[in-house]
Amino acid sequence: MEFQTPRGRLHVLRDINIDVPKGKILGVVGESGSGKSTVIWAINRLLASNGSINSGMAKFDGQDLLALNDRQMLSVRGEQISMVFQDPMTSQIPVLTYDRQMSDIQYRRKELSTREKREKAIRIMHKVGIPDPEDRILQYPHHFSGGMRQRAGIAMALLMDPLLLIADEPTTALDVTLEAQIIHLIQELRAEFDATIMVVSHNLGLIAELCDHVVVMYAGEVVEYGSVSDLFYRPAHPYTQALMDCDPARTHTKTGYLPVIPGDVPDLHSLPTGCIFASRCRHAVENCRTTAPKNVQVSDSEHAVRCHLLDPEFEGIRLTAKSSAPDNSAAEIVRSRPSHGKEKLLKVADLCVRFQTNSWIRSAIQNRPRFVDAVIDASLSLHSGETLGLVGESGSGKTTLGRAILGLVQAKSGSVVFDGQELRGLSRKGFAQLRRDMAMMFQDPVGSLSPRQTVRSLITEPFQIHRIDADLNEEAARLCEMVRLPQDFLARYPHELSGGQARRVGVARALALNPRVIIADEPTAGLDVSVQGEILNLMNELQATHGLSYLIISHNLPVIRHVSDRLAIMYLGRLVEYGSSDEIFSQPAHPYTEALVNGVPQPDPNRRRSLVSIEGEVPSLASRPTGCEFHTRCKYATNPCREARPSMTSIHVNEKERKVACHYPLVGRRSD
Amino acid sequence: MLLYIIRRLALSGAIVFLAVLVLFLMLHSIPGDPASIALGPRATLEVQAAYRAKMHLDEPLYYQFAIFVGSVFQGDLGSDVFSNRSVALTLSEQLPHTISLAIAAIGWSALLGIPLGCLSAIRPNSLLDRVTGIFAVGTIAVPSFLVSIWAILIFSIALGWFPVLGAGDEDDIIDRLYHLVLPAFAVGLGWVGYLARMVRATMLEVMNENYIRSARAFGLSPQTVVFRYALNVAILPTITLIGVGFGGLLSGTVFAEIIFSRPGVGKIIYDMVLARNFPVVQGAVLVTIAMYVFVTLIADLLVAWFDPRVRETL
Amino acid sequence: MAKSETITSPMSTRSLRHSVGRERLQLFLHNPMGMFGFILVLLFFVAAIFAPVLATHDPLALDIPNRLSVPTLEHWAGTDQLGRDTYSRVLYGGRVALQVAAIGVSISLIVGLGLGMLAGYGPRWLDNILLLLFDSIRSFPTIVLALAAVALLGPSLHLVLAIVIVTSIPSYARLARTSTMALKNTDFVLAEKSLGAGTVRTLVRHIMPNVIGPLLILAAMDVPVVVTIEAGLSFLGLGVQPPMASWGTVLNEGYLIVRLTPWPIVAGGIPLVLTTLGFTFLGEALRDIFDPRLRKGR
Repeated sequence: MEFQTPRGRLHVLRDINIDVPKGKILGVVGESGSGKSTVIWAINRLLASNGSINSGMAKFDGQDLLALNDRQMLSVRGEQISMVFQDPMTSQIPVLTYDRQMSDIQYRRKELSTREKREKAIRIMHKVGIPDPEDRILQYPHHFSGGMRQRAGIAMALLMDPLLLIADEPTTALDVTLEAQIIHLIQELRAEFDATIMVVSHNLGLIAELCDHVVVMYAGEVVEYGSVSDLFYRPAHPYTQALMDCDPARTHTKTGYLPVIPGDVPDLHSLPTGCIFASRCRHAVENCRTTAPKNVQVSDSEHAVRCHLLDPEFEGIRLTAKSSAPDNSAAEIVRSRPSHGKEKLLKVADLCVRFQTNSWIRSAIQNRPRFVDAVIDASLSLHSGETLGLVGESGSGKTTLGRAILGLVQAKSGSVVFDGQELRGLSRKGFAQLRRDMAMMFQDPVGSLSPRQTVRSLITEPFQIHRIDADLNEEAARLCEMVRLPQDFLARYPHELSGGQARRVGVARALALNPRVIIADEPTAGLDVSVQGEILNLMNELQATHGLSYLIISHNLPVIRHVSDRLAIMYLGRLVEYGSSDEIFSQPAHPYTEALVNGVPQPDPNRRRSLVSIEGEVPSLASRPTGCEFHTRCKYATNPCREARPSMTSIHVNEKERKVACHYPLVGRRSD
Repeated sequence: MLLYIIRRLALSGAIVFLAVLVLFLMLHSIPGDPASIALGPRATLEVQAAYRAKMHLDEPLYYQFAIFVGSVFQGDLGSDVFSNRSVALTLSEQLPHTISLAIAAIGWSALLGIPLGCLSAIRPNSLLDRVTGIFAVGTIAVPSFLVSIWAILIFSIALGWFPVLGAGDEDDIIDRLYHLVLPAFAVGLGWVGYLARMVRATMLEVMNENYIRSARAFGLSPQTVVFRYALNVAILPTITLIGVGFGGLLSGTVFAEIIFSRPGVGKIIYDMVLARNFPVVQGAVLVTIAMYVFVTLIADLLVAWFDPRVRETL
Repeated sequence: MAKSETITSPMSTRSLRHSVGRERLQLFLHNPMGMFGFILVLLFFVAAIFAPVLATHDPLALDIPNRLSVPTLEHWAGTDQLGRDTYSRVLYGGRVALQVAAIGVSISLIVGLGLGMLAGYGPRWLDNILLLLFDSIRSFPTIVLALAAVALLGPSLHLVLAIVIVTSIPSYARLARTSTMALKNTDFVLAEKSLGAGTVRTLVRHIMPNVIGPLLILAAMDVPVVVTIEAGLSFLGLGVQPPMASWGTVLNEGYLIVRLTPWPIVAGGIPLVLTTLGFTFLGEALRDIFDPRLRKGR
C-alpha cells in the first residue's frame, strides 16, 4: 500500500504475506520505518486518509477484510478483531467513565441490559488484575495510573471476546517492572481465552517472551518468518542477524562497543532496485542490488526468508543460517580505557529537591500535600574518567537529580562539590565559569535544540555566551569532525535533522568548551536498537580521547550495563543501591534492583520467566509508604521493613564495597 | 471545584473593579475641569456647580472613587444630569431590549453554526464542507454594521418585508418579534461563520486524537464516535470561544441598536454621549462591562463543570 | 577498537532546503483561497498607495448638478448628495484604512509582544497583574470604550487609532504570553540555561523568534478587524470627520440618503468586504503552511 505525501507516493508496504496461526501468538518485529504498525492499521482499515491499499488480500476467518464495505467492517472491528494500543495515556477518552466506554463497546449486544453489560465489564476488569473493579469502573481514565490504564485498555479489547487481538507496542510506554506484569498478563490471558494474538513491537525481549512465531519486517517488506526459536537461535536474514547482534540484552559480555547497522533506512519515495536491505548489508553482492530476492525456505521448517544468499538457486556466495546463541558467559570486562583516577571529580552529598505542587490555600482547604519531594538525601560521587549510571523508573527522581547537580533546578538542601568547589549557593556569575566544565545532553534530541538556530550557531553558542575569543568557523568545523557530522549539516535547522543526527549535535554542543563532566539524560531514548550504538560508541571514544567523565541517566538497563562502570539505583527519589555496575548486575543486593534486573525481557525464548518479579505500581510521590518505601512491593518484606526506614549502609560483596539501603540485603556482609 | 468558583468570582470582581477604575481615571485624567468636560460647553454655571457638588469633585480623588464604588454597591449609579432620574432605573428599562437582541442573535447563529461546523468536520473537503467554508468566511468578512445597513437596504427599503426602526409595540409580542428579526439577523450573521469555523477546527483536531482512533478500532459506530466521543470533548473549547467572542457580539449589538434605532443599552450610550450626559454613559458602560464579565465567568464555570479532569483537580 | 561510523546523509543540505522551500511555495500556489486573498491584499495596497493616480476626481470636489447620480461613465460609482465622486472617495478612504492598519497593527504587535513575553517569562506575580490588566481592557467592548472616550475627548482619527491600539494589544499579548509560557518549559530553553545563557539572551535569541510567527499571522488576521473598527467608528461620527473621505464616512453619508440612492453604501461597503476577505484568506493560508500541526496526515 502507499501513502500520498506532498513529495510523492510513499510505498510503505510491498508484498506482505503474513499468516497468523490460530491460537498462537505472532510477533511482528521491526524498527522505525519498517511498516509494522501500518500493516495493522491496514488490516483494520483505519488508515489515514492519504493512504491507499493498492492490492492484496487480508483473509480473516474466511472473509477478505479488504473487500468488505464500511458497514461490514464495522461489525468486524471490536467483535472479531480488537486492539490494544501503545500509549494508554492518550488512547482513552478522558471525559467519559470506563463504565460508559465499556458499555458503548458492547452496544451491539442489544439483548443485554445495562446492568449485565456492567457486570461483564467488571468481570473482565477483574481478570486483567484491576483491584476493586466495581468501584473503579465508575472512575475516569485520569484516575488510573499508567499501568492500570493499560490494563483497562486490554480489558476493553477483550470485552467482546474477539477472535484476534492485535497489540501495538503494548509495553513501550511502560516502565520495566510494569512491562513484566503486562507480559505475564498477556500470557495468562492467552492460556485462559485461547486467544490468537498478534504483537507488534521493536522490543526483541518482549517478542521472545511472548510469541510463538515471529515475522521480521524491514522498510516495508517481510524479510523473515519463522518460529521464535528459529529466529532467535538461527536467524537467517542478514538484517535479522545484525539486529540480534545489536541488542545489548543479548550479550552479557561488556565490550564497551555496541554493534550498529550502518546507514539509514532507504527513502520509500524512490525504491531501490534489488534487495531493500542491500545498501546496509555486509554480505551484499552485485546481484543483491539489481534483482529483488524472493522468499526461500530455510531447512524444512516453516522458516522462510527473503534473501538471495540463502536461495539454493542463487549463484554466488551462500550463507547458511548463522547459529547465534545469546551469550550467557559470565561478565568479563574487555575495554581498553585508561583506568580512571581515584580523585573524586564530583561529589554529591545528601541532596534534596522539593517541588511545590499546591498553594497553601489549596492544600489547607482540600487537604492536599503542599510539597512533593523529588529527590531525598542523594549521595554519590563521580571519579574522573569513569561512567556512572543513574538508573530508575518513572518517578525515581533521576532526571531531577541530574538537573539539580547542574543547578538547573533549585535544590532544597545538601551539597554538590565539583573539583573541590561547592556549587550550591554560588551566584550566577560564579556558576558561569563552571558551566564550561559541566555540560548536559538532553533526552529529546530535536526538542533540546532551539528551533530557529542553525546547527552552526547552536554548536558555537557556548563560545558566544562565555565571550570566548575564538574563530567560530574553526571551532564549528572541529566539533563537527569530532562527532562525525558532515560539514554540510552546519547550515541545517533542527527540524531538518533526524533523531540520531540531532543527538550528535547535542554531543557537539556539550563538548564545545572541553568540559570534564557530561551528564547525559537518556542518550538512547527514541533510537532504534540498530542505531543506538552509534551514539554510545561515539561517547565511549570521546571519553577515551578526552578523559571525560559521564553521568548517564537511563531506564534502559541493558544499555547501561554495557556502558557504565558504577551504578546508582533510585526509587522514589532515594538511592537504594550504589556500587560497581558489573557486580550489581550479577548479584543485586537490594530487592528492587533484583526486580529490575530480572524484569528486563530477555531476547531468549528459552529463558522465559514464569514468575513476575514484582507486583503493584510505583506509589505516588505525594503519599509515600512508611518505613522502607519499597516494602509495599517487596516480596521479602517483613515487619521491620514497614516501620523503620533503612539508611545507606556499606556492605561487601566479593570483596568489593557497595552501598545499599535495605534491612536485609540479598547478598554480601556488612562491613562493620 | 468550590475553590475554583471562588477564585473565578474574585477574578471577575477584580476585572470589573479595574475597569471601573479605568473609567474613573479617564474622566479625571483629562486636563481641565471635570464638570465642564462631562457636561459640555452648554451647561450653565449652576448646572456645573450642582454637578460638582453631587459628584464631590472638590474632594480628593480616592475619596471620590470610594464614594462611587460605595454607591455602585448600593445600586445607585448616579442620576441623569438633566432629568435627575436615577441612572439605574433608566438602564433597567433599556437592558431587557439589549439582552433579548443578544440572545436572539446567539440563539440563531449557534443553532445554525454549530451543526454546520460539525458536519463540515465529519466530511472534510466534501462539497458541504467547501460551501460552508466559503459561506463562513463570507459572513465573517462583512462587518455587522454593514450587514445591518445592507439588510435595511435590501429587506426593508427594497423589499419592504421588515420594519426599519424601533423595537415594536410594547404589548404586542408578535410585533416585537417582527422588529427583532432584522437586527438579530445582522448581529448574528457574522457569528454563524465564526462558530462554524471554530467548531470545525476543534472537531478536526479532536478527531485526530488517539482516543478517537481507539473508539473506531473498538467498532463503535461513526455516529457514536462523532457525537458522543468527539463532540463531548470539542464542546469545551467551543464554550470558551463563545464566552470570549461575546465582547464582539456586544459591539455588534450596540451598532445594531444605533442603526435600527432600537432601545437598549447601546443606544442609550450613544444618545447620552451626544447629549453630554456623562453619568448615564458611565453607568451604561459599567453595565456592559458587567455583562461581558458575567458571560465569560459562566462560560469558564461551564467548562470546568463539564471537564471531569478540571472538575476534580480544581 | 572499531571507530564509530560517519553518518551518511541522503540529501545534501541545500537540496533539502530547496525542496522544503519549494514544497511551501507549492502549497501556497495550490491553495486557491490563499492566492485569492493575496491578490485582494495586493489590490488593497495598490489602490491605497496609488489613489491619487487611480482616482478620477478630487474626493472633496463638489459637483452639485450631478448629485445623487447612478454609476455613469464619468462617475464610476455614482455621486453622493453633494455631488462628490463616490469612487474617488472610496479610493482615498482606502488610504485612511491603510494608515490605521499599518500604524495600529505595528504598534499593537510590538507592545503586545513585549508585554506578553514579560508576562510569560517573568515572575508569577507580574504575570497575574498583567493578565488582570489585559482582561480588564478586553472586557470593554470596543465601541463602548470608543463612545466613552469620545464623550470625554471629542471625535478624531487619532482617537480611533489610539482606541484600536489599546484594544488590540491584549490579543497579541495573550498569544505571546501563551507561546512564551509553552516555550519556557521546553528542553531547549533548559539546554540554553545549562550552557549559561542569561535571561535576555534566551528571550531575544531563542524565545522571540519562535513567538513572533503566530503573532505575525494574527496581525494579518487582525488588519480587517482594525479596518472595520475604524470604519464603524467613523460611520457613527466618532472617528474621521467629514468632509474627509473614509469608508466609514462614505457609508455614513450614504446611509442618510439611502432612500434616495443605494449606490454609496454599496460602493462604500464592497472595499471593506474585499479587504476583510483578502486578509483573512491570506492569514489562513499562511497559517496552514507554517503551522506544522495542521499538516499532520493522521
